Amino acid sequence: MSKKYAVRNLRLCTKDCLCLYVCPTGATDTENSVIDAAKCNGCGDCADACPSGAISMVPEVYPPQQPKTEAVLRAMNELLRSKSRQEQIAAELPGKLAKAIEKSNRIMAEDLIREAGYMLPQSENTRDFLQSLLLQRQQMEGFPKEAVEKLIKAFNQNNKEDKNMNENKTIDNLMEAFAGESQANRKYLAYSKKAEKEGKINAAKLFKAASDAETLHALKHFEVAGKISSTADNLKDAVAGETHEFQDMYPDFVKQAEAEGNKAAVMSFTFAMKAEEVHARLYQEALDNLNETEEVFYYLCPVCGNIEKFIPEKCSICGVSGDKFIKY
Amino acid sequence: MGKYVCSVCGYTYDEAKGIPESGIAPATAWEDLPEDWVCPLCGADKTQFQHQSTPIASAPKDPVVLVEPSSDLRELSPLEISILCSNLARGCEKQYQPEEAALFSELAGYFKAVAASAANPDFDKLLALIDQDLSEGYPGANAVSAEAKDRGALRALVWSEKVTRVLKSLITRYQKLGDAMLENTGVYVCTICGFIYIGNAAPEICPVCKVPNWKFEKVEGR
Ligand SMILES: [Zn+2]
Ligand SMILES: [Zn+2]
Repeated sequence: MSKKYAVRNLRLCTKDCLCLYVCPTGATDTENSVIDAAKCNGCGDCADACPSGAISMVPEVYPPQQPKTEAVLRAMNELLRSKSRQEQIAAELPGKLAKAIEKSNRIMAEDLIREAGYMLPQSENTRDFLQSLLLQRQQMEGFPKEAVEKLIKAFNQNNKEDKNMNENKTIDNLMEAFAGESQANRKYLAYSKKAEKEGKINAAKLFKAASDAETLHALKHFEVAGKISSTADNLKDAVAGETHEFQDMYPDFVKQAEAEGNKAAVMSFTFAMKAEEVHARLYQEALDNLNETEEVFYYLCPVCGNIEKFIPEKCSICGVSGDKFIKY
Repeated sequence: MGKYVCSVCGYTYDEAKGIPESGIAPATAWEDLPEDWVCPLCGADKTQFQHQSTPIASAPKDPVVLVEPSSDLRELSPLEISILCSNLARGCEKQYQPEEAALFSELAGYFKAVAASAANPDFDKLLALIDQDLSEGYPGANAVSAEAKDRGALRALVWSEKVTRVLKSLITRYQKLGDAMLENTGVYVCTICGFIYIGNAAPEICPVCKVPNWKFEKVEGR
């Protein structure tokens, strides 16, 4: 669904103004009674509450008009030409009836051309039309060039905003999907280990395969979102991420878990917090030595996630014996 | 005793009932209604009515000549540019964009002012164009739009074809009666479909497009 905002039809508004009462952002409370689009959050409460039906929700982005076949365009154009001739003739005849006929033909012709592909002022058709006016007609005496230029600018801006908005939305969606798939990957891995312990080999295998599949998805989403940079930049990003976790995120989590008396969570958070601090340091070292060619080995504690560059006697964070460490 | 239905607005004249409030007694036969009698709702003349038993045919079933599509859509005339711009101004108004609407209106005004004037304008020329619309333009456009399942186009065609028939009957009457037809009565135009009504007040709803009467505009003399 596209985003909407509220507009008030001043001709229908009876100033019963329930909208003022229900609007959560004060967008309806303006001196000239025009609803402030910048404040409107699109909730629609005002439209529902208005006793005179004066407020409606309009989309920020209109769907494109149904495409027209060439045969329809031609037929509508023929009629348009006839109506414009009738308007022209009637415009020069005397009397009220002729004046009414002139108006009538204008209204019919407007409707016909609207249905010949010119429904929406912000459409591509309209933009092409305005551009061609500038190209072909600006030599005409008194041509209101400025008006045309303003219109082109106004609609270009709209279109750019729409496009940016849509692009941003998709990037957001990719990152949301990345987060979701990443979680699913770890979840299925946990389920797989559980199934393995219970001796449910087939379930364990399926969970493992699905977990790997989610990894594929997550990696692709992340890549398409354009979040992968040079290794130097990725290391900087990793330092920042780990630092945030051990400095801000986990300390708060630990405090909360202590307050709630959840000891298992306290331990899980504390292990992670201490390990992230090590990770941040190691990422920083790797960044500093990015161009060193001598090979470095890393050893991972399989219990708490601590990483060392040598095999310790026991893990400095969780105390597990050094022979459990995994070499990378 | 039969019934006759207005093909423009659907008003039904019932011979058995007549229209006593307008001085047409019950049991007045269709043939006995005066030739200049018009539909009390929309003003269409007697030729626009069909006997109820006969299906209302919107157009004579002449073979429809389809215009061959060609790739070069002709250039718009200044008046057509004006029409396009005033249409877009309305579009902007509907979307509550008053500044853009004003700019399009400015363009519409400019191109209307520079449009060429008609050579020897008269009502017969109008009637000739109307007849051509009714005999060729609408049947052809309806056929291609139906084929393309273009509901928007079909809707616009239904409205403007009806209005065109109303214009035809108004002009025909005007040619007979002259300005006497407009004495002591108002002329109203529906700003949505272009329907013209002659009477003391605009109809409650437009017989063609069904908008309420505040969408009508009263036409004052030139
Ligand atoms: Zn009628
Ligand atoms: Zn109407």
